[in-house]
Parts: sequence; structure tokens; C-alpha cells
Amino acid sequence: MSELAAHSHGEVHDDHDHHEAPFWKQYVFSTDHKVIGIQYGFTALLFLAFGFFLMMVMRWSIAYPDRAVPVLSDWPWFQAWLDNEGRVTGDLYNMFGAMHGTIMVFLGIVPLAFGAFGNYVTPLQIGAPDMAFPRLNMASFWCFLLGGVLMFVSFFLPSGAAKVGWTNYSPLATTTDLNFSSQFWTGQTQWLVGMVFLISSSLLGAVNFIATIINLRCRGMTWMRLPFFVWAMMVTGFLLLLAFPPLEVAAIMQIMDRLGGTSFFVPTGLNVNGLAFDAAGGGSPLLYQHLFWFLAHPEVYVLILPAIAIVSEVIPCNTRKPLWGYKSMVYAVMALGFLAFIVWAHHMYMTGMGPAISTFFQTTTVLISVPSVILITSLLISMWGGSIRFNPAMLFATAFIPMFGIGGLTGLPLAFNLPDLHLHDTYYVIGHFHYVVAPGTIFGLFAGIYHWFPKHTGRQMNTMLGHLHFWPSLICMNGIFAPMFLQGMAGFHRRAFDGGAAYEQISSSILAEPGTFVAGVFEKLRIVGEGQPVEMIDLNIVTSTFAWLLALAQVPFIINLFASVYVGKKVTSDNPWDATTLEWATPTPPPHGNFTTEPVAYRGPYEYSVPGADTDFTPQFEDDPGIVKKEPAKRDDKVSSEDSTKA
Amino acid sequence: MEIPYEVAPRRDTGLFNSKLGIWLFLASEVMLFGGLFSAYIFLRVGVIEGVDAPWPWGINVHKTFVVLGFVNTLVLIISSVFVVFGWIALKERNWGRFQMFMYLTVACAAIFMALKTVEYRSKLTQHHDIKLLDNSVLEGKILDKTFDVPFEGNSVEFNLAGSAPGFIHDIEGEFPVMKATWKEYATVDGERKIVDKEAEIRSAKEFKSWFVRARTKATSDLIAERKRYRSEVAAKNKALYKEEEFTNPKGPVVDTKAILTAESAFQLHSRRRQVSPIERSDKGDSMTYLDGSTVKGTAGDDRIKFEPHYLDMQLVPIHKQKDSMVWDVLGDSHMKDAWYENREVAYEHMEEYYEGRKKEIPESMLRGYYINIQSLHGKEHAKPFWQEFFDEFKAGAGIGGGDHSDHAEHSHDQGDHEHHDDHAEEEAHAAADDHGAHNDHGAHSVVMIPRDKIKFFNSHGPRNNNYYAIYFTMTALHGLHVIGGALVLLYFVVFGKPLFLRNPEHLANRVEVGGLFWHFVDLIWIFLFPLMYLL
Amino acid sequence: MADSPEEIAKHKKLYAAIGIWLLVFSCVALALGKITWLDFGPPGATWEDILIGLSVSVVKASLVALIFMHLNHEKGLIYKTLLFTFLFFLGLMSLTLFALADPIRESFDTLNTVKGMLNRPN
Repeated sequence: MSELAAHSHGEVHDDHDHHEAPFWKQYVFSTDHKVIGIQYGFTALLFLAFGFFLMMVMRWSIAYPDRAVPVLSDWPWFQAWLDNEGRVTGDLYNMFGAMHGTIMVFLGIVPLAFGAFGNYVTPLQIGAPDMAFPRLNMASFWCFLLGGVLMFVSFFLPSGAAKVGWTNYSPLATTTDLNFSSQFWTGQTQWLVGMVFLISSSLLGAVNFIATIINLRCRGMTWMRLPFFVWAMMVTGFLLLLAFPPLEVAAIMQIMDRLGGTSFFVPTGLNVNGLAFDAAGGGSPLLYQHLFWFLAHPEVYVLILPAIAIVSEVIPCNTRKPLWGYKSMVYAVMALGFLAFIVWAHHMYMTGMGPAISTFFQTTTVLISVPSVILITSLLISMWGGSIRFNPAMLFATAFIPMFGIGGLTGLPLAFNLPDLHLHDTYYVIGHFHYVVAPGTIFGLFAGIYHWFPKHTGRQMNTMLGHLHFWPSLICMNGIFAPMFLQGMAGFHRRAFDGGAAYEQISSSILAEPGTFVAGVFEKLRIVGEGQPVEMIDLNIVTSTFAWLLALAQVPFIINLFASVYVGKKVTSDNPWDATTLEWATPTPPPHGNFTTEPVAYRGPYEYSVPGADTDFTPQFEDDPGIVKKEPAKRDDKVSSEDSTKA
Repeated sequence: MEIPYEVAPRRDTGLFNSKLGIWLFLASEVMLFGGLFSAYIFLRVGVIEGVDAPWPWGINVHKTFVVLGFVNTLVLIISSVFVVFGWIALKERNWGRFQMFMYLTVACAAIFMALKTVEYRSKLTQHHDIKLLDNSVLEGKILDKTFDVPFEGNSVEFNLAGSAPGFIHDIEGEFPVMKATWKEYATVDGERKIVDKEAEIRSAKEFKSWFVRARTKATSDLIAERKRYRSEVAAKNKALYKEEEFTNPKGPVVDTKAILTAESAFQLHSRRRQVSPIERSDKGDSMTYLDGSTVKGTAGDDRIKFEPHYLDMQLVPIHKQKDSMVWDVLGDSHMKDAWYENREVAYEHMEEYYEGRKKEIPESMLRGYYINIQSLHGKEHAKPFWQEFFDEFKAGAGIGGGDHSDHAEHSHDQGDHEHHDDHAEEEAHAAADDHGAHNDHGAHSVVMIPRDKIKFFNSHGPRNNNYYAIYFTMTALHGLHVIGGALVLLYFVVFGKPLFLRNPEHLANRVEVGGLFWHFVDLIWIFLFPLMYLL
Repeated sequence: MADSPEEIAKHKKLYAAIGIWLLVFSCVALALGKITWLDFGPPGATWEDILIGLSVSVVKASLVALIFMHLNHEKGLIYKTLLFTFLFFLGLMSLTLFALADPIRESFDTLNTVKGMLNRPN
């Protein structure tokens, strides 16, 4: 850390005094992309933990709807939302469900994947001293934090936080919480206001990322020498840039509906609680869904692309082999980005779309699986025949591939409207997209943390604790989400706060007859009584237990993350993994301004095990013309140095 | 540390950073306004004929507003030219001329916003629509404060555990001295007991602090009661298990009802969104807010004093138009005949047109008929267009005789005096004469419309229908962009001198980027003007 | 772009001329909207009027974008970005309208239709 201060060149202002910046300027209101990245990372990890906590309470309600919530029922805040017996009420479940989704997606994963890793790694990998607009970068973080704080504070309002699902569909979202005299300070409205801030933050971030990648590449860093991570970040940036504004529009319109009394999303003749809703009518709830999903489908790729990006950095490094099919991956990710914009209505098959439009969206949805499969297959083939180092980063990266594969393949039935009508809003859908984002994206992010931790701290994370983190996590993740497919196909609805108990009364779905092996196991675990069949609803207890165990499995990680900063094994070089990309050319940790000498990219990003080379890696930044012929200087090479001196 | 390409463009991309940044930002702005334009089209195309408010909304877009919008178009275009010339002046390193053009641009922005304000004010305060129960719509002007719900209250009852009662914001005039009575737990002689509490409240501020305290106490009472209940349940379960004797636990007992009694009656003017007319009891002796509090007292005169200008029957089926309640409301038997005469003439025109093209008259055309009430009176007087424009302009800008609040106070007093008067028509005409001095229209009569005949009423604000909703949303968002752009340009010209002396090219780049944003704002207006005012 | 004094003078003239053209087109748009004999198709704002009115706007907008915003001097990168932006905007607009125009119409009649087809004598 002291090195960081020593290298600090002060602000981006024109006066080049070398005074040490005050603490708050260095670590709080910093314009350094790395500090901002770390800020994003910690905030996002906190929100992830919070979102996970919400889910654990929900899982209690699903598993044991008739029992009081342990521990929490004495907390004052919970008192207002639990019933007399201390059980979770429907309102609380709805609130936690809505906020779990919102927090995980908008405040957890996107900031961690795009904000933290993107901010920290992208400028390093392209050899830039910082982002193109450092102050905008800072504004983007504080905007995000403000949005997050508003969302968090809304829990403590009399109305509680938003409770109509993370999708916030109108007209339910418009008419909920109307019984409060101050409409502005209700959870629903605060959700919208928070979203407007989060979206603005993402837009600023996206502008910054794309501008940085296009304009600040160092000498010799041509397009096809960009690491795949940077490509994925650029596509993600474009997704955010162009898909988020329609949701911002939708949020503004819904704010108008709630506070201004307009009826953008309120149809004529709407009745609420048996009373005519006092609005002009003439609006369209469908419009909201269109605007929402126009963002929210690309958002899925915003969630997954950074994870694929991280994994595609970790895998070549740890298999000591080049990334297989680099170019096809680049084109695939671009195709993915394009197609992501025209598939959104497959979330809306239930809204009564006609056959022609359904056909269109089914076609594009199935088409988008092609680039996804190209990406995953390339990663898989990259590992073929490599001498793999199974360090914790690599473990997570390896697990990412099958987990994401399961998530993707189970999505195929949902792409067609006929099976979707059956599976819509069931646990099958939950299982599907959680396989993509939980063991998928989050594993990718863990891989990234283990991989780049030495760069920032100069110390390694503990491998033993890494294994203790990985294996239980892998088991628990599957224990949580695999049973959901079974339950979903049996018709369990995702919004039932009693976990489908009401549903069981009208139709019993037997998972295993008494006497079978499965029934024996369930009997042993005291989940079902002796001689009883195992019903689908009994899986709720299995799932919930695994969810709580997953929380325990994160303890080694938390210990590892904080302890390693102080007691981790010190790295001996700036390039501990023997990697090839430019971020490893910086001092450890990278100072403000990143590179001590001007970085130049001499070759492609994944030159591992080049035949005839001295070592099994040939970094981008090493001018070693012995093996690979040095390519002639590209168009920009000479000019850029001229320009920078002129500037 | 220095970021490269801040001033000079990178050769292969041909862009300096901020220019690239602003183009990306503009791309996202295209999607932002694109989303709104899509919404505009979606809502307009998605109108269900005869049910939703039809688009385009007849002649609601008054000539005045068209002129204002048109002038604004010209102002923005001229300001765009100014920005370009300012940038060129910088390229020529001419600070003086740059300054002049930038200030001119900002002045244009100020004019734009001023005209916009006039237009907003006029729409929000000078024009109202009343939709009667049978969907006939009267357009005109509401003359008194019955725009809110008037009510004379004596006492209020509400729940301490619920949300803060909103009536407190609606009290008109002096705050009455109120006595609050409620119940809470207290320890009396070492025993927990429910006790009656009383407090005197003299102001809204006092009420708020009292409410917060009482609510906190009520919540903690509830928590304590639940704790007691749960421990008793646990004890019972234990006793059951041990087969001992037990008493059934009593559920949590908390009475969170509070009553405020005023010493003297107080006047409420409730915002309509907080209390819908349906919520009031039949006898008119109580009124329930959406937040659950109930006010007891007497309902005020809930007739709306209204000056109708236009009649719109587009939402009334043809066979019901003859018996529409609008004729009773207007109370002039000649009008109905005049309406039918007028309609016949219009139909003839339409028939001519469609027969010439061998098409049938669309149903919407037959039903849709929008007429100036003055012409029904047979005394339509043509005012010169510029006169109409200036009247409207004055009213919107809040200058001259057309001040709304003044008007409203006056008529409200009068309404109180003549409360007993059953002949609404007479009163209305009296009112019309009375207001003649204020009102240049003169010929308009004033009618009293009972609230229970009204389905929906509003000014021409965003609530009125989706046209106004999207109009206000889009123009307000565009207005914010205008203000933002003008502030940025103003910043360049006020604080740009040091940078100009040090590195004029850098300032030129900044102005170019600011100018790009400004042109984009102009570009949006180029589409907004025809979509909102002309088509 | 504007480097030599002659070029700058030329640019100034161009910008002024474009400004005047924009003012003229604004008047044309107003006339199209408000003058009765310029109301094409059936009375009221029908698709003919909307098409003509919006094309005037498009012409104006392209003048602003090309000349005032110097798009005519930009390189391909900006064009590509804007092209995709425009495509996605068109997608958002047209696909939502497409979905609106294509609802499921015959939910109950489908049954009868199928029955009728099955029972139809060959």
C-alpha cells in the first residue's frame, strides 16, 4: 500500500505537484480506477451477502411455513413483518423476494463483475494509465452507491421495501402501497428512484469503458491482440449503454404513474380492492413489460459475459495453452451482444402474443444459443491436453463450464412457447437462471478474485482455504438448484410463500414410493415419517438446508480474503502465475498511473507454450523477437507517441 | 499521470476521448428518447376505440400552444447556429466573439424555458376536462377550489400502527386545537396494564412529533405482547408434553386506535388522490382516506363551478348521445338541438368526402364529435387570432386579469353564501355575470356540476390522459436536457478564460463536445414538435 | 476541419445557410400540420400526414446531425455505433408494435375450428 502512495501523482489536474494526496482523496473520493474497482468490489460483496441473507429467510418460510423463524424473530424490525407466532408473512416473503432479485442483479453481480473487475483489470490489460474519464468513473461509483443506499433504506420505511417482484410489473406496482400519505417515501417509489440512480451509474460506466477500450489502447495493442476479457467488457458496455435507457424510461414513467397520477401503465377501468382506480386509464401494462425486458434480457448477458471473460483469462493461464478459437470467441461474443437485443419477448409468452411474433422470438432465442455454445466449447477445448494447475482460481473456472452448461441447456425448453406455458413462473425457471448466475457467474467471479488477488496485495490467497471454499460450495449449489427442476416440472409456483403447501393439497406429486432407496434416505434424515412416500414438497427442506450450508461454505472465503491481505504468502515476482497479459507487467500493487515504463504489446494475448520458446509463456509485453517474429508497427504505433507528447 | 488523447485525436480512431465519450452518451440518449417515442407510438396505436381517450385529442392542442411550440423550434434552431459560430470563433482564437455567441445561446435556452413555463402554467391552471359518468367530456375551466374535496371535520380516527395520516396536510386555515385519545401499555403498581392517554395538539408540528412517539410506543407494545404470547405458547406446549395443567394463552392484545377530537370544526381540502369520492359515506358525515384514517364531520358543497368551452362526445355511443347527462348539466335545451344541427352539417361534409372516395365513414368519425359550446349558444364571436394568443399567454404567464387564484377565492366565498340556492342555473349565470370583468371570453356561462355525476376530472396536466402524460414526460425530460446543456455551455464561457489562454484547442474541443450535446437536444425537439403539437 | 481562414469563412456560410434551411423546414412542418388543404388523406392526422410530417423532421434532423454535428467528417467508428443504436431503436419500436398487432384472437374458437376440421366430410 505504501508503494501506491509513493507512486501517486496526485490528481488529474494540470499542476504536477508530487504531494501525497490526503487519505479521503486517495481511498474514498479517488479517481484511480483500481481504488474505484476495489470500492465497487467491497460494496458489491456486502450487497451479495445481504441478498443471500434475504434468501435464507425466504428459504425458511418455504421449508417450514408453520414454524417461527429462528434467531430473527426477536429483532425489532422483523417484529413488524412476522405474524404473532413469529412466522414469515406473505408480505415479508414478497418483499424479500423482490429485493433479493433486485439486490443480487443490480447491486451485487453487475457492480462486482462489471464495476469491480472491469474497472480494475481493463485499463491494465490494454496498457492504459487509467480510464478515459477518471472523474466520471468516480461519479459512476457514487451514483451506484446512492442508488444502493436508497434501496437498502427502503426496508426501514413504514411501507417496507418493494414487494411486487424484481420485475416490478405494472399495474400491481402502480397500485401497491397506495395507502401511504407520502407516496414518495414508499418502498415501491424508492425502488424506482434507486433504479434511476443505478441505471445512470451504469450508463456513465458503460460510456467510460467503451471510450477507454477504443481510445486508450497502448502501442501495438491492435484489436485482435486484445485479451478476450477486454472484448467481453466492451460488448457488456454496449449492452448496458443501449439496453438500460428503455428501463430508465420505464422507471420514469412508473414514477409518473405513482406520483403524478398518470396512467402510462394503467388500463381503462382498472379496479383495485373493489374500488375504481382514480386515474384516466388508457395505458398499457404490456408496454412496461416490453420496456423492462428490453433491458432485462441483455442484462442476463451483462451478468454472464464478465464471468466468461474472467474464466477465459484463468483457463489459458492455468492450462499453459493458448485460448482455443480466440477469433471465433470474439465474433461469437459480438453476435451474442447483437442477438441479445432482439430476444426479450421470450419472457412474455404468457402475455398472449400471437403465433407470428412468438415465432420470431423463438427463432432468435434459439439462435442465440449458437454463440453461447461457441464460447463454452472454446473454453472446454482450451483445456484439452493441457497440463492443468488446479489452484482455487482454476477450480472455480473449471466448475463454471458445466454449471453454466446446465443453466444454458435447461433454458432451451423455456425458449419455446409451448413448454414455457407449462414451466412459466415455476421453480424450473428459478433453477434454470440460478444455474447460470449462481454457480455460473458467481463461480467465475470467485475465480477472478483468487486470480487477481496477488496483483493487488502482493500476497497469495491460501490454497487450503480455497479448496475448503470450493468443494462445499459446488456441492451446495447443486443441492440447491437441481431439486428445483424436479419441483418446477411438477408445477411448483415460485411465488408461493409456503413453498407450495397449498398446491400439495390439491395435487400430490410423489417423488419416491416408500421402500425405495430415496425414500430410505429421506426417512433416515427424518424429513419424512416412516413408511411415508417422499413428496415433491419434501425437497423444499433439502434445498433450504443446502442453502444454509452454502452460507457456511463462504466462511473460509471470507477468512481467506481478509487474512491473506496480512499473512498470505508473499509473491516473489510481479507475474506470479506466469501469465501473458499486460496487467502482469505492472509493479505489485500497480501505482496510480499503472505502468512505470510505457507498455507496448508485441503479440497476441495468449502465447503459452510457444514451440521453441525458453519458457512456457511469452508475455505480450516482452520484446523477445527470438521465437515469434515481431510484427511491423501498426498504423497507430508511431503517431500515438507523437500525439501523447503533444498533448 | 496524464490521460492520452485528451486534446489531440488518436489517429486510427480519429477521435479525442471526450468526443468519443459524448457520441456514446448520445447513443444511449437516442435509446432513452427512443424508448419514449416507442411508448408514444405504442400508447397511441394501442388506444381502444370508444374506451380510451382518443389520439390525437381533437383541438386540445390549442393554437396558442402550437405557436409557442413553433417559436421554441425557431429559438432552438437559432441557438444551434450560435453554438456552431461560437465554436468557430474559438477555432479562430477570438474570445470576444465566442463569449457573445455563447451568451446568445444561453439566452435562447432561457427564452425556450420561459415559453415552456408559460405553456405548462396555462395547461395546468387554465384548462380542465370533466368526464361525466356516461363518458361525455366537457372541456373548460374549473373556477373554484372544489378541485379538491371540501369537508368540514370534527374528529379523526386512525390507526397508530399504520402509516402517518395524510389529513394533516389538508387542513385549511388555522390549525384547530385537538385532543388526542389513545391507549397504551404502562406499568401501574408493578403491573402491566392498558391505560388511556390524552394529549393536546395545537399544530401540525406537534402532531407529527406526537404521532412518531405514539407509533413507536405502539410498535414496542406490539413487540412486547407478541413476545409474551410466544413464551406463553411455549409454556403451554411444555405443559402439554408433560401432561400438566395449562391455561390457553391469550393472543397479543394491542389497541392501536387513536382519536383526535377538535374543539372547533376545521376545514379540509383533501387532495383527490388521497381520498377518492367513492370513499365517502352516503350520508356525507364521514370521509375515509386511503391511508385508513376516517374523518367525521359534514361534507362541503361538492359541486364544481365550471365554465365549459368545448363538448366532446367521442366516447359516448351514438345511440346514447341523445340522452347524455351532459344536456342536464349544461341545462340549456337549445343546446341539444344546436348540437344535432351542427352534427348534421358536419356529417354532410364527411359524407361528401367519403363518398367521393367510395369509402364508408369510419365508426369513430361518426361518434367522434368535438364542438365549441359557444357555437351551440349561437353566439360565436371570432376573436382575432393574435388576441386569443395574447390572452392565453397572459393567463399562462400569470399576468393581467386572468389570475386563477384570485378568481377562485372569490367564487368560493360566493359558493358559501348561496349554499341553499337550488337553482344552479341561476346561480351559475349570476356567477358568470360576476366574473365578466375578469373574463374576456364573456360569452361563456358557468355551470355547477355535482361531484357524483363526475367520473374523472383534471386540468390539462399529465393525469388527464396519455397524450398529456407523455407530452409532459417528454417535454420535461427534454427541458431538463436544455437546462443541463445551457449550464455546461455557461460554465465554458464563464470559467473558460484560463483554459483559453493556456490551451485554446482544449477549450475548443470542450465546446465542440458541449455543442454536440446541444445539437442533439435540438434534434430531439425537431421530432417532439410535430409529434406533440401537429400530428 | 476548419483550419485555414478561407475554409473557416466557407464553413460559416455553410452553417448560416443550413440554419436558414432549418427555419424554412420548420415553417413547412407547421404549414403541413395546420393548413387545411395540406391535410393529405382523410381529415385529421392520418398515416399520410404522419409520414409526410415526419419525413420533414427526418430531413431536418439529418441536416443537424450531418452538418452541425460534423457527422459528415467523422470516421466509421461513430457511424457503426450509431447504426447499431438505430437498429436497436427500430427493433424496440417495431417489435413492440408487432407484438401489439398480433394478439391471440381465437382462444375459444380454435377448439371449434379444430372440431369442425375433424368432422368435415371428405
